[in-house]
Amino acid sequence: MENKVNDYPKFAVVGHPNKGKSSIVSSLALDDSVQIGNTPGTTQVKRGFPLKVDGKIVYELFDTPGFQRARRILAWLEENKPSSADKRADVIREFIYQFRDDKRFKDEIELLEPIMDGAGIIYVVDASKPYGPEYEIEMEILRWAGQPSMAILNLIGDEDYREDWKRALGQYFRLVRTFNPLQAKFRDHIELLESMAQLKEEWTKSIKTAIGVLEDLQQQKIDRTVDAIIKGTVKSLSFVYTKRIKSKKASKEEEKSVQERYKKEIIKYEKNLEKEIASIWNHRSINKVDSVSSLDNVPLFSEESASVFGLGQKELIVTGASAGAIGGMGIDLALGGSTFLLGSFIGGVVGGIGAMKGFDNLYEVKLLGQKFGKRELSIGPMKNINFPYVFLGRMLYHASIIANRSHASRDTLELKNKNSYIGKIITSEMRKTLEEVHEKLREKKEPKEELIAKYREVILESFLKLL
Amino acid sequence: MQLKNQKLSIKSYLDLSQLLKEYRGSHEENRTFALKHKKLEKAPTKLLLEWLRRNSFKIRGELNSKKYLEYLTSFDSIMGIMFFIIGFFVGLGLLSYNGQAPVNIIYYLLIAMFLPVFSMSISIFTMFTHGKVANFLTMLFPLHWVEKILTHLPFKNKIEDFKAPFSFEFSKWLFMERLHLFSMLFSIGLLLSLLLMVIATDIAFGWSTTLQISADSFHSFLSYIGFLWSNIFPSAIPSLELVEMSHYFRLGEKLDISMVHNADKLGAWWKFLAMTTVIYAIGFRFLFWIFSKDMLEKQLEKEFLSLEGVRGILREFQTPFVSTQSPKEEKHLEIKEKKEEKTITIDEKLYESILGWNFSSDEIALANDARGIKALTIWAVGGSNSYAQDLQIIKNMSGIVFLYVKSWEPPTMDFIDLLEMLIENRKVKKIQIYPLGTIGKHYKNSDSDVDVWIKKIDSVKSDKVWIVYNGK
Repeated sequence: MENKVNDYPKFAVVGHPNKGKSSIVSSLALDDSVQIGNTPGTTQVKRGFPLKVDGKIVYELFDTPGFQRARRILAWLEENKPSSADKRADVIREFIYQFRDDKRFKDEIELLEPIMDGAGIIYVVDASKPYGPEYEIEMEILRWAGQPSMAILNLIGDEDYREDWKRALGQYFRLVRTFNPLQAKFRDHIELLESMAQLKEEWTKSIKTAIGVLEDLQQQKIDRTVDAIIKGTVKSLSFVYTKRIKSKKASKEEEKSVQERYKKEIIKYEKNLEKEIASIWNHRSINKVDSVSSLDNVPLFSEESASVFGLGQKELIVTGASAGAIGGMGIDLALGGSTFLLGSFIGGVVGGIGAMKGFDNLYEVKLLGQKFGKRELSIGPMKNINFPYVFLGRMLYHASIIANRSHASRDTLELKNKNSYIGKIITSEMRKTLEEVHEKLREKKEPKEELIAKYREVILESFLKLL
Repeated sequence: MQLKNQKLSIKSYLDLSQLLKEYRGSHEENRTFALKHKKLEKAPTKLLLEWLRRNSFKIRGELNSKKYLEYLTSFDSIMGIMFFIIGFFVGLGLLSYNGQAPVNIIYYLLIAMFLPVFSMSISIFTMFTHGKVANFLTMLFPLHWVEKILTHLPFKNKIEDFKAPFSFEFSKWLFMERLHLFSMLFSIGLLLSLLLMVIATDIAFGWSTTLQISADSFHSFLSYIGFLWSNIFPSAIPSLELVEMSHYFRLGEKLDISMVHNADKLGAWWKFLAMTTVIYAIGFRFLFWIFSKDMLEKQLEKEFLSLEGVRGILREFQTPFVSTQSPKEEKHLEIKEKKEEKTITIDEKLYESILGWNFSSDEIALANDARGIKALTIWAVGGSNSYAQDLQIIKNMSGIVFLYVKSWEPPTMDFIDLLEMLIENRKVKKIQIYPLGTIGKHYKNSDSDVDVWIKKIDSVKSDKVWIVYNGK
């Protein structure tokens, strides 16, 4: 499935050491395994990041080491200056040929090789730091290469010298764009690719294809995330744990151990779901470190979790009432409407009051099966009206953090903005649909496919709000 | 590519269910597999079956399907034989003629036609209802209870440790299919006994009922029953004369005298009874069996495609695999954290020579002014200077050399070359490197930037070189 000839566009990301070249590559290649550090020389050899679709390369990015001895190279090039400008690239080739085994120019050869092999140049500078004429040496060498080129202004620090940089870079590059790999969202990524497509006419088609592929990929990731959240939520809410007990009545210790085990299992579901979401968004490094999770400092079964992700008191009463009304409606329907909707009304009032009880009312512990001398203690499914919203809120939050997180980021995920969360992404109208499914799960019933489809629409809408 | 003709079966369903618990393949593997089997692109079931065939060796331990199918086969074989034998003996019982009272065809019709029609009617309701209603209806069939009883037999225990992942709907169709098969075998046993009895004995058939039914009415009723074969096999429809002469009465000491005189004609009923058995008990049953078998297969396919994990695999088959990662493993640079303290604070305010790496002379003068530092000579190195120019400047250096660097620019090898030239200059006693912050930050450097300089200078291993750092 490999390409027969190198007929796809290639781009070499080059520049001074420590200006964020690897961050840009990591962000564009959606790969968080790239080593990024403030130690210069982290990248020692060039590394290609091809965008492949079913094995066929659409374009390839090269991460390269930074310039180390640019002055000496330019001096050599000037010494061997050809009579006409069209021969300058040949002088660079000659340089690579002559100094291939010279350790002094190892980095420069690594960065010049893909360029001389036809790669477009993406020159990266840190525009949060002042411009200096020493950069002109690097830019001059790149100009000698004669390849299509553009410059990226990366803002690593908090100062902004973009205007100075633009004036200088404009002398050497046709396109100058600002791109912050740590904050770049999917749209910024696409816009940068669109700029890259303008570098050479022959590359436009491939880059447009790549944009289409990445857009499809983004949509697939969104869909898979939503499906995973729904699956995990349904699994957690309908989970029932049973344990065999010896005596006729369960002891306090037995009840406690069953409750703990039940909670542990649901926490495990949540953890697995977090990992699955990280894997969908290709954040492999997060997977490696279990403790690096945005939600670790707010445990699932905690008051704080309920207050951040759960429904407010007012919303809780309304939802409880609607859940009760759904149950009451069943009675009304069963009695052919002869109750004049009294079932719905009573159900609503009881549900509303029940919901006010708060986050303690999680589940019922039942003693089951007296026959054949087998006694079992059963716990679940989840009875608490608020819990599904807490679980959904946490997962939507986590998914949004992961989906929005740049692959160049190496920071620990942290829970920010602890204000009420779920109310902002799930409206009362959406809650009605969610509650229909939650009610079914509480009753140990399997929601119908159409209902799950409606539920999915709501979760998708909420998730899209966060992206 | 040569494909084995795989057919969807309970075995493949159970095997896939077991395999998916252990292996699902990566998107890349699954997509590559689908691309290799382009012909099956539009046939997801066949593609999955082929995928199962290729990967079934990955199932660890004993196949659940083996256990389950062994149980199902032995159960079905026992039940099939049992139903056939019961049918045969019921037939023998119904047709046993002791030479006294003729065999009442109504008994036979009850078993060979009315009971099957009743059973098939209930099965229609069972087939088209779901959930609790269907569950209740299945309880009306003796097979349900026979199965219940057999679950307590020892061989059932063998499969208790795994739970067949069948839905109720699938179990219902599996039950219906087997119900119709066993009933058909029962009826075949019945037909066989009829034929055997007809050949081996001379049976006198008659009809009798407590109800006041005339021979005319009974004949019409029988004509309705025989409607399906009346045209193709008219001799298998009893004539009115036969119906009249076969009517006998339970009360009375002796048989009707006309029955005795026409005993040879009374045997003609067997064709009618045989056709009734063939058409109603076997033919219709066969159609029901075929239908439920077809529905079972459809349900099996539906469940096969909705097994947990299948949706994901099918999506991976169809979705192009996009890879953005580098095929080349990165050799991670070992970042040396431990470093010797190479920093100093300075008290000097006057230097013989001050150098500025990548600074212009004016910038150096401005920095001196801001720090209250004076110098006899100021030299700009790096930047637009050539390497030869820098070499000339370094040759003239002596004593303590104060060197401004841009703290935010990490030291390149070009700088290290300059530093080594300074170190090699014997006249130079000490080199004080001052990482300067940006003008925007009033020349204040950041700890992280200085840290980069300290690490790099540490690697030079020279006692002459020091970083000027006044601490946090």
